[in-house]
Formats: sequence, structure tokens, C-alpha cells
Amino acid sequence: MLTKDQRDALQEIANIGMGQAGEVIARVLNEFVTLSIPRVLILKPNLIAPALQRIVNSEAVSAVRQAFHGNLRGEALVLFGAQRCNDLAGLMGYEEKIDHATEMEILLDISNILVGACLGGIAKQVNADIGFSAPSLMADHVPVNEILKISDVSWECALLLEVNFKLEKLSFACHLIILMPENELKTFAGKIDRFMEAF
Amino acid sequence: MAISILVVDDSPMARKMLIKALPAHWNVKITQAGNGKEAIAEFRAGKVDLMFLDLTMPEMDGYQTLEAMRNEGLKCVVIVVSADIQPIAQERVLKAGAAAFIKKPVDIQKLEPILRQFGLLE
Repeated sequence: MLTKDQRDALQEIANIGMGQAGEVIARVLNEFVTLSIPRVLILKPNLIAPALQRIVNSEAVSAVRQAFHGNLRGEALVLFGAQRCNDLAGLMGYEEKIDHATEMEILLDISNILVGACLGGIAKQVNADIGFSAPSLMADHVPVNEILKISDVSWECALLLEVNFKLEKLSFACHLIILMPENELKTFAGKIDRFMEAF
Repeated sequence: MAISILVVDDSPMARKMLIKALPAHWNVKITQAGNGKEAIAEFRAGKVDLMFLDLTMPEMDGYQTLEAMRNEGLKCVVIVVSADIQPIAQERVLKAGAAAFIKKPVDIQKLEPILRQFGLLE
């Protein structure tokens, strides 16, 4: 589905997008963000849940979904482990213990920032115009293998692009997963080819 | 005499992008490494005048590479080229011995003034 060169190029494209997202999060939270090496996987739907389990390393997750559309279409999922964002509340200016609704609001805000900066950075590099739907809470503390049932993934295979963000001083991490159906993946591959032609 | 350049990045695409951004007709000898461990091995094996160093790499990342170079007394001009554009990342690498920091994606406009600054390009 993607050649080795295309995967390598996509990993580097994602790396740059992730760096931009990390910088925005670091600015919002005034904390240093440790970035991971992005991982690119093409998976059949039945293999996505085990892959997510490995990535998140947590029995239950909360997840925010945000669709993107335009020259590229797909769905971004931001997964939060059990720790979620209690520690973030203080960094975001909340002085007292937050209630559940406020916590969900923070998850949506963080997700929106990550998806916009990371996917925006990726789209810019491959010369694609994309827009985003509003983020919505997809799952609240549910087993990882339930996530994809909720997301109604119906494609033959999907691109799983994984980037991790971890705060250096706090026990908070989240994972951005980009899922694209097979036909969109072909469009994306063409754009990656044109990106590579410049080098 | 050719300037010996070591390009260190785990991504072959990123190395290709950087090499493409180097000034045309520049008299250089280019070696490549996929992580900090390989870079240190290359350094020990031969002369390096200029190193382009990524930060986020497997095995040994850019920060660890700078530390290892300092511990071993391996000296050259190190230009960090990274997608991690947090100001703190830039401060840390400069403190650790890097001469300059360039944000990815690298291009000749970002590169040339720095090469001139360090007398590597006339």
C-alpha cells in the first residue's frame, strides 16, 4: 500500500507535524514536551485494536475524535490513558480539583490543539488543503478494544500514524492516531510521491 | 580541501532533504549515520568537521550524542536540525555544545547564513 520510501517520507513529514504540535502544547502548558519517533503502520481493521492496546498500554482509555476533510480525508483519534488530565488542570489555570465536565473540556481542548497543529503541519508539507470538524468525545474510560467499535471503522485497511506526546515533569501522555481509509491512502501516497520528487 | 560532513538522522528521507539543501558546488565529503551510536563510531573512525544532528532518534538521541561527544572530547561544529522546535530544546542543545539550531524542514536559506557564520562557506 505504501512503499518503504513513502513510509520513510511520511514518517519524516509526521515528525515535522508532530514537532509543530509539541511546540504549541509546550507553549499552552508552559512545560517541556518529550516527543517520540512517529510510527507508520498499514493495518487491517482487526489488527488496529491490538496495535492501540500496545500504544496506549492502559486498560481503559478516553478518546476524542476529529474528522478531517478536503484534499485528504480521515479521522484523527486522540487517546488518553487512565491518568487522563487531572495534572493538566493546574497547568491550564484551574486552581481547584476539577469536575468531570471540566476534565472532558480539557481533553477536547488538548485534542483540538494537537490535531490542528500536527495534521495542519502534515497537510502543508504535502500541499493539501484540509479542514476539521469539531472534536467530540468518543469514549470515556472504556477498554481500548471497544474504541474502534464506536468509531465504526468500515474500511479494508487503514493507515495508523502514531505520535506520542509526554510531559517531561508530569505523568501525562497522549497518543494521536490518524486513520485513513484505503482510497484516501492512495491519494495521500500520490501527494507523498510529489513531496519526494523535490528531493 | 574538502570539508568532512556527518549527517545524523534516523530517517533516510530527512538525510536526503538535508543533503539536497547543502550549497551547490561546495567541496564536501559526506558521511551518514542513522543514530547517535553510529555517529560516534563514524567520528572515532575518521575526521569530522561539521555534524548535522537530529534530536529524536532511536538507540542514542541527539542530546545523548552531544553528551557522549563532550565526554570523549570529540570536537566539531554541530548544527542540530530538528522538528522539535520548542525553545527549551534549542536552549538545551546550545548549552550541550551545539553551535546552532535549525528547524526542520531545512533549506538553503536557513543553512547558508549559519555556514558562513562558522567560516564553513565563503
